[in-house]
Amino acid sequence: MAAEPSGSTIFPRTDWEALGQSVEGDATRLDRLIRLYWRPLKVFLASAFPGLKAEEADLLLQDFAEDKLLKAGWLGRADPQRGQFRKFLKSSLRNFVRDRLSRAEVKNAPLSLEGLEEELAGPEAEAGGEEFDLEWARVVLAETLRRMEEDCRDPAANQPHRSQIWELFRLRLLEPLFHNAAQTPYERLVARFGLRSPLEASNMLLSAKRIFKAHLVRVIQEYAEQDAAASEEIRRLEEFLARLAKRS
Amino acid sequence: MADFDSAVALSQSGPEPLAALLAEGGRPAGLWQPEELGAIFRHQMAAPLLADLGAPAGAQGAPCQSFADLLHHPSPPLALLELVKDFAKTNAEHPEDGLPKEIAAVLYYLCIAAALLRLGARISKLPDADLGRGLRWAAEQPWLDEPTRQLLAGALAAVPPAGAPGAAGL
Repeated sequence: MAAEPSGSTIFPRTDWEALGQSVEGDATRLDRLIRLYWRPLKVFLASAFPGLKAEEADLLLQDFAEDKLLKAGWLGRADPQRGQFRKFLKSSLRNFVRDRLSRAEVKNAPLSLEGLEEELAGPEAEAGGEEFDLEWARVVLAETLRRMEEDCRDPAANQPHRSQIWELFRLRLLEPLFHNAAQTPYERLVARFGLRSPLEASNMLLSAKRIFKAHLVRVIQEYAEQDAAASEEIRRLEEFLARLAKRS
Repeated sequence: MADFDSAVALSQSGPEPLAALLAEGGRPAGLWQPEELGAIFRHQMAAPLLADLGAPAGAQGAPCQSFADLLHHPSPPLALLELVKDFAKTNAEHPEDGLPKEIAAVLYYLCIAAALLRLGARISKLPDADLGRGLRWAAEQPWLDEPTRQLLAGALAAVPPAGAPGAAGL
């Protein structure tokens, strides 16, 4: 596998059992899965095991992918009763790395163990968990926006003003949120896009939000099991981000 | 047309914008700034009346071409005021399909105010106290133009306080 995969398409599954069975039989899907989770997992490793060097973290992640993710039966152990899928990934990786580092210590392998003792002596619970979840939220939302933009720019999409809907969403919401740009007034949007009224611009923004929400649900449904789980996952992400935002 | 690279923008983002995107993207609340409501209201007041209401046969050439024409007319047709009031009520109850709720509600109270002040007619079954509260709320909206605010304030003054003698006759 490449050192760090690029791209961010994830596997189209909606339940854990099917996830475990079919992903293992489908190298392309599994490759996509690893690509999506790579960055959050790397962030988690760096935070949970601060003594690891970047190249060591890459190596461990590759081993994790090959020894666990690619291993027949492993994904089938992802049990919805035991918690969220991303928690399962985190705890699996943490255990995997601890095991590897312990063995490396015994064999005096050239792995940095500075962070290991600190980590093993520290609280068991959520070292690196917040960093992972924040990175996870970034990946989910970026993937949602990528799909939304692709959808809106699709010339075959049978909806008037589809590409303008993306532009309006970008100008009204994305640019102000992520680039600190001033929010473009509706009256200027009306002139820019040749709309009939601010109300039409507002309705287009509502459409944009509906499209965003639909893609968000679909992205999450690919790792959460069903509709209810996707709603719960959106709620969890909202609460988590709101809590972090309050603290910062 | 500028590009927005979602992956880059979000990979460098802190939790606040992510939280805001998740919250805003999923919900229409907080959509309108006051000045935007003002822009929509001005647009609505200038909009062709009969086109929005569905023009009845023979309605061309009516004295009131726009909502503003009707609501500020010295002697507006009562039937048209009632029609616009119903239109506003429907929109207020289904804001996802039409006007923002605030605009629809102001339009609703404006029809009642115009009928009351210009024609001495009461086209609402609301009790005085409720009507007074509604007119006061409408008159306090910061995005209203002054003539409209005066119309609402005038009607508010004409509504007897709750329990006053003769209130039921309005």
